[in-house]
Amino acid sequence: MHFTQEYSFEFKSRIAAKIMTAAPQSTGRELTSPPTDGISNIRFSNHSDNLLVSSWDKSVRLYDASANALRGEFMHGGAVLDCCFHDDSSGFTACADHTVRRLVFNQGREDILGRHDAPVRCIEYSYATGQVITGSWDKTLKCWDPRGASGQERSLIGTYTQPERVYSLSLVGNRLVVATAGRHVNVYDLRNMNQPEQRRESSLKYQTRCVRCYPNGTGYALSSVEGRVAMEFFDLSEAGQSKKYAFKCHRKSEAGRDIVYPVNSIAFHPIYGTFATGGCDGYVNVWDGNNKKRLYQYPKYPTSIAALSFSRDGRLLAVASSYTYEEGDKPHEPDAIFVRSVNEVEVKPKPKVLPNPAT
Amino acid sequence: METACGSLLYELQIIWDEVGESDAERDRMLLELERECLEVYRRKVDQANRCRAQIRQAIAESEAELAAICSAIGERPVHIRQSDQNPGSLKDELRSILPQIEEMRKRKCDRKNQFVEVLEHIQKLKSELSNSSGYISTTLVVDEADLSLRKLEELQRELQARQNEKSERLKQLAAAIQRLKEIKIQRMQRLQDLAMSLLQLWNLMDTPPEEQHVFQKVTCNVAASENEIMEPYMLSADIINWVETEVSRLEELKTSKMKELVLKKKSELEDICRKTHLIPETDISLNIAIEAIESGAVDATYVLEQIELQIAKVKEEAFSRKDILDKVEKWMVACEEESWLEEYNRDENRYNAGRGAHLTLKRAEKARALVNKLPALVDALASKTSSWENERGIEFTYDGVRLLSMLEEYNILQKEKEQERKRQRDQKKLQGQLLAEQEALYGSKPSPMKNQSANKGPRLSCSGKSNRRLSLGGATLQTPKPDILYSTRATPNTQHAKKNDRLSHEPTRDDGFQALSSGRRGLDIAGLPLKPHSFNPPNAHEIESPMMRKPFSPISSTDSSKSNATNIMEDLNRKHNEMLQKTLTSNNTPFATPSKTISTPDEENRTPKTMAIPVPSTPSTVSVPMLTAITPASRVLESMKDEEIEYSFEERRAGFVLPKEHRNTVIQI
Repeated sequence: MHFTQEYSFEFKSRIAAKIMTAAPQSTGRELTSPPTDGISNIRFSNHSDNLLVSSWDKSVRLYDASANALRGEFMHGGAVLDCCFHDDSSGFTACADHTVRRLVFNQGREDILGRHDAPVRCIEYSYATGQVITGSWDKTLKCWDPRGASGQERSLIGTYTQPERVYSLSLVGNRLVVATAGRHVNVYDLRNMNQPEQRRESSLKYQTRCVRCYPNGTGYALSSVEGRVAMEFFDLSEAGQSKKYAFKCHRKSEAGRDIVYPVNSIAFHPIYGTFATGGCDGYVNVWDGNNKKRLYQYPKYPTSIAALSFSRDGRLLAVASSYTYEEGDKPHEPDAIFVRSVNEVEVKPKPKVLPNPAT
Repeated sequence: METACGSLLYELQIIWDEVGESDAERDRMLLELERECLEVYRRKVDQANRCRAQIRQAIAESEAELAAICSAIGERPVHIRQSDQNPGSLKDELRSILPQIEEMRKRKCDRKNQFVEVLEHIQKLKSELSNSSGYISTTLVVDEADLSLRKLEELQRELQARQNEKSERLKQLAAAIQRLKEIKIQRMQRLQDLAMSLLQLWNLMDTPPEEQHVFQKVTCNVAASENEIMEPYMLSADIINWVETEVSRLEELKTSKMKELVLKKKSELEDICRKTHLIPETDISLNIAIEAIESGAVDATYVLEQIELQIAKVKEEAFSRKDILDKVEKWMVACEEESWLEEYNRDENRYNAGRGAHLTLKRAEKARALVNKLPALVDALASKTSSWENERGIEFTYDGVRLLSMLEEYNILQKEKEQERKRQRDQKKLQGQLLAEQEALYGSKPSPMKNQSANKGPRLSCSGKSNRRLSLGGATLQTPKPDILYSTRATPNTQHAKKNDRLSHEPTRDDGFQALSSGRRGLDIAGLPLKPHSFNPPNAHEIESPMMRKPFSPISSTDSSKSNATNIMEDLNRKHNEMLQKTLTSNNTPFATPSKTISTPDEENRTPKTMAIPVPSTPSTVSVPMLTAITPASRVLESMKDEEIEYSFEERRAGFVLPKEHRNTVIQI
């Protein structure tokens, strides 16, 4: 046994490093009685820890995420492709039976707002204008007034043709970003829906999966089926556009080649403005867009991450681990929703260590 | 007496006669005399009678006592008086009996003492055996009625038995004590061994005092002798187990640390080897040794010593190689500059004044000076290397390749290049003639050569945002291969490649993701032939010269192809990163321009100074830089007329098919 003092310093630092990395990791608490088929979206309420879940099993379910309890369930005439809250006691759904519905949870009531000509892919409620906005594969966007929930004639505000089938919507303030097939991106001002404020094309080469606006309203993140996320800015000036960039994620290097997974979901943290991405690789990554850093990677989930949602205070992250049919009909892991508590260190931006030299 | 009485009477008669006493008086006096005499006699007889009775009583008592004693000690009396037989006077009888009784008394007393003694022993043993120290019989009761020998023997047997019992018990006790003593010594040694280990481990690992404090009472006994360990339960199995657990915990900790240290030393060794371009000889054996440490077969210390020995050896070798390595470094830099200069010289737009052109000019000037010195440098290096080899009797290797053969190869290539240059000059002359002829026939038109170099122009002028990125491509991939790659992606083939990707979204295809990865695979395969060339600069130069000037080869000017190129570059860069990593870890492939390659991802990512490292797949809290890239400028939408319609996963799952009229609208857009 010959050991000199110099080694022991080494040991200490190594031990410290070990302790840092050996933090317990888990997938979070799994909600009981999950949907019985693919989960299309999950959303936390803006007022509580209630979680609204839409699924291909034609159901919309309301959970109390902190109590892990199923509070209510609605059955629709087709797969439910999206859902969102109205207030804490009511919500809206986008259904493959072309129908847009309003649900009142405590009464179990279900009103039809109206219909599209094709399955309704996505739905958003604008707190700024009090309108419901739906996007459909019929290549239109429709705005609805939820108060006139008795008939389409009274509730429909307008129909806006899109260049392609609508795949994803996102709202921030009065801005609406519409992502469609064919990699089109239209940016609207809700106060003037006659024509898009900006017509863009996705910076990514492949089909758009998800678009989400930054909470600070300056731009949006857009993910594609080819393991990539583009960070875009509304400001069209040269200085504004110079900030945009894209990065690769949800890839796996195996035997010298990359396997690239679709990025299904993006969710921004309501407090810090950092964001989580979920991919078909079953991983959830948390990113700091400003400092271009990955902050955290959660342990792998059983199957593709279909949807993500942060609770209103950002303390909870709901993760839908549910096969998204990227490889067609095949045996897959059961659909599950995990609710994990979010540690500040996982989502808090980390400023760059090295000063960024003048670019 | 008669005489005395008669004379006294006569004397009395005389006196009476003289006095004249009357006869009556004389008679009365004589009667009184007679009565007094009688009284005296009677008294004496009574006295004698009393005395006789006393003697008789004494004899009787003595005889009774004698009999009692005899019966008590169980013996027949020595003399038994025959009552019918009269031996003599009473006094004789008494005198004869007295010594007997004396003797018997003495014998009885002796016997009694014997009894007392035995009884005392028994009593003592009893009290000892009964294990009650409190019980002490204060009075010894000897049954005086039975002091027979039989009884004594009985008692003695009892005593014997008790004594046996006692000795048995003592033996048992002694054995027990012995056993316990042995256990104590064993445990003490075990504890002291453990304490020693503890102290050593603490010392080794700088265990914090608060952690040590818990075991202080154990370790203070580390040098104690058997008698000094006094604290109760100090040698209990619980304590020993407790200490044992701690020792094994620390041992494990130590092993893991040792392993880490070995790994660190190993990487240090590899690092040195890499820096000095040596091939570590014992890479495999080290790995085996590390595995052996993991399985516990080998002491990590030994392995550590081995590695340190190797490090020392390699360092020594590195020192002797330093001089030559410096020169090699210079040579390589010069080679790089030479190839850059060659390319620069081919650029016919090189004197177009653009931003940064003066810098390029300056660089070219310097490069020319450097290239002029190259032959001398190579010669000096070769001679130095040969003398080194002669001195040591071993080959000077650079990343496993003999340096001399590298130099030789370089010289050969240099010659070939010279010939090639000459050939090209001739060709150019020929082309010029042809052009002149054509011009004479059809009028003037721009030569393809010029067009091509116009495209290339900005790339070489090394200025501007996009140019930086592109020139980087040129710098990284000095081989013509990537150019071919660009051309396949950038020009007509793009459409085809796009279509392939699109096809993947068809419902009939098994899955998009598979197709995507196969699309990537295609790129990777295209990237593969790059590797051997980029490893070996002279080879690269060789191919470079004839191919470089192929028309349409590098970056085309359309936006769409630019974006494609960007993506390909990303891939290539990724490839390079992988390669770089491979070289860093295995360090067995000669890598000509490592410094250059390292710098490429930085430029690519536009975040200089933050090394872009591929995101590790393991979860970690450490934040890593994103793999960012400039998004391509928005480009003109291609017509989708002939393309298959793309569908999302959801559309495919829902079986959604775009109606015919919708497709038409697509075309309109």
